Amino acid sequence: MLDIRSARKVFYKGQADEKVALDGLSLSLATGEFGIVIGSNGAGKSSMLNAISGALVLDSGKILINGADVTAMPVHKRATRLARVFQDPMRGTAASMTVAENMLLADLRSQKRTLRQGLNATRLASYRERLSILGLGLENRLDTRVDLLSGGQRQSLSLIMAVGGSPDLLLLDEHTAALDPRTAEIVMQATVRAVNALKLTTLMVTHNMQHAVDYGSRVIMLDAGRVLLEVTGEEKARVTVIDLIGHFSVKTDRMLLAS
Amino acid sequence: MGFIQDVLTSFVAIMPVTLAQSLILAFVVLGIMIPFRMLNFPDLTSEGAFPLGGCVCGVLLAAGVSPLTCIVVAFAAGFAAGCCTAFIHLRFRIHTLLAGILMMTMLYSINLRIMGKSNLSVFGSPTVFDWVPLARPGFPASKIVVAGLLALVVFAALYMFFRTEKGTAVRAVGANPDMAEAQGINVWAATIGGVGLASAFSASSGALMVQSQGFADVNMGLGILINGLAALMIGEAVVGKQTVWRQLLAPFAGAIIYYQLVSFCLAAGMPPPDLKLATGLFVLAMLALPSLKRSRGPAPAREAIRE
Repeated sequence: MLDIRSARKVFYKGQADEKVALDGLSLSLATGEFGIVIGSNGAGKSSMLNAISGALVLDSGKILINGADVTAMPVHKRATRLARVFQDPMRGTAASMTVAENMLLADLRSQKRTLRQGLNATRLASYRERLSILGLGLENRLDTRVDLLSGGQRQSLSLIMAVGGSPDLLLLDEHTAALDPRTAEIVMQATVRAVNALKLTTLMVTHNMQHAVDYGSRVIMLDAGRVLLEVTGEEKARVTVIDLIGHFSVKTDRMLLAS
Repeated sequence: MGFIQDVLTSFVAIMPVTLAQSLILAFVVLGIMIPFRMLNFPDLTSEGAFPLGGCVCGVLLAAGVSPLTCIVVAFAAGFAAGCCTAFIHLRFRIHTLLAGILMMTMLYSINLRIMGKSNLSVFGSPTVFDWVPLARPGFPASKIVVAGLLALVVFAALYMFFRTEKGTAVRAVGANPDMAEAQGINVWAATIGGVGLASAFSASSGALMVQSQGFADVNMGLGILINGLAALMIGEAVVGKQTVWRQLLAPFAGAIIYYQLVSFCLAAGMPPPDLKLATGLFVLAMLALPSLKRSRGPAPAREAIRE
């Protein structure tokens, strides 16, 4: 499904503050797999997601989605295969447009946009139904501008927009980190329900170790632009928060010694 | 009393002429509104695109080309100019305003090249306004009908376009380009096409203006941008900008109101040279209004120091 082959990206190459963001990172995710990506700040989690979505152009390496090489494909072309929910609720929605218009944009993600009327009765009815799953009352606010919604409502909308149309690959970039605990729980539950119901291949970045333990079929820990640890199958079922944090401390100790 | 009556009489007398002029210039206001509001791309190209359309139209009219073809060619030339501005911004990451200034400066030379001289009289050439046989001195019914019909058609076409799937995608590019890209929208194509279309409207306005006034001049665009901006501000204050309908109506309503206001000021004895200062102050006031309202709240830190 997703195949990253020795991806390498260096920022500020040849300058004093040269930074290796991805250092020959290789990772593959089978169809239907739910991968949880953890790692300390600067480990390369966001760079990896950006490289998959196309926002970051690799120095070397390859990215394959569904067997097709997308390494040279621009963001908007890759969007037909993958959907993404950003950490910042503001980034995933168009603030000055209505809820229904945002849903329409997501609806057309993998289709050719025509000169037919965008919002019609059929579509509005289906948006109302899909939004009602959240239980946030968004289904009655289709004509509300998105900038009038709360951060949690916006993020929930982003999620519904992303899972609609069953993308080949769903990227979640710390998508509950900016929300209050209760809303974060609602969004997380909705995510898990959607991922299970639609059998979506998913890659979720999180700093919440409890989420890493509770959800997903595989934990991938990044460090210095490489995969440091992968926990799958039986082992994944037994792993605890303490175990995961242990791997962080190894690195922290090393950093302390180095400094 | 006599003064007020005089002012009103001369204002009413030129009302139809002003209306005809404002309907033609409404297309420039539209050409400013589309990049500014729909694409979040503040653009100055119209200051060069308007005379570009005028010069192209003037030369073609003088060569005996049909007036409608002149407008179509002016439209195409304006489209190309707008595409260049958008491309300069996207490819070289130059600020939209600077890209517009570059384009408008270069267009001045291009306009001179096109005409070969700084102005050209096309008085007596056939115009699109000839098709409505109602003209009589002081009441340009034909201009009002033709320009008004054109405005109606363009308004309806744009309103329908912005409600289609493609139109919604274009608006998304203005609202949140990152999100638009992540939803599979080609941001480059939408921006280049949108800014191109806007400049095309500005150029068409220039072409209509040349046919209306009977001459083309390379300096005919001077100050057109600030006038258009003032008209847009008035339009948005009167009809609003919350929905696509209102946002599209604002340039047309604004142009009509603004040029009547100008003509009223002139009738009231305002010296024409002061007009640009007055317009500039007006636009400044409209833009400053929101921040003036805000600073009434707590913590006006920097302002307090400045005073």
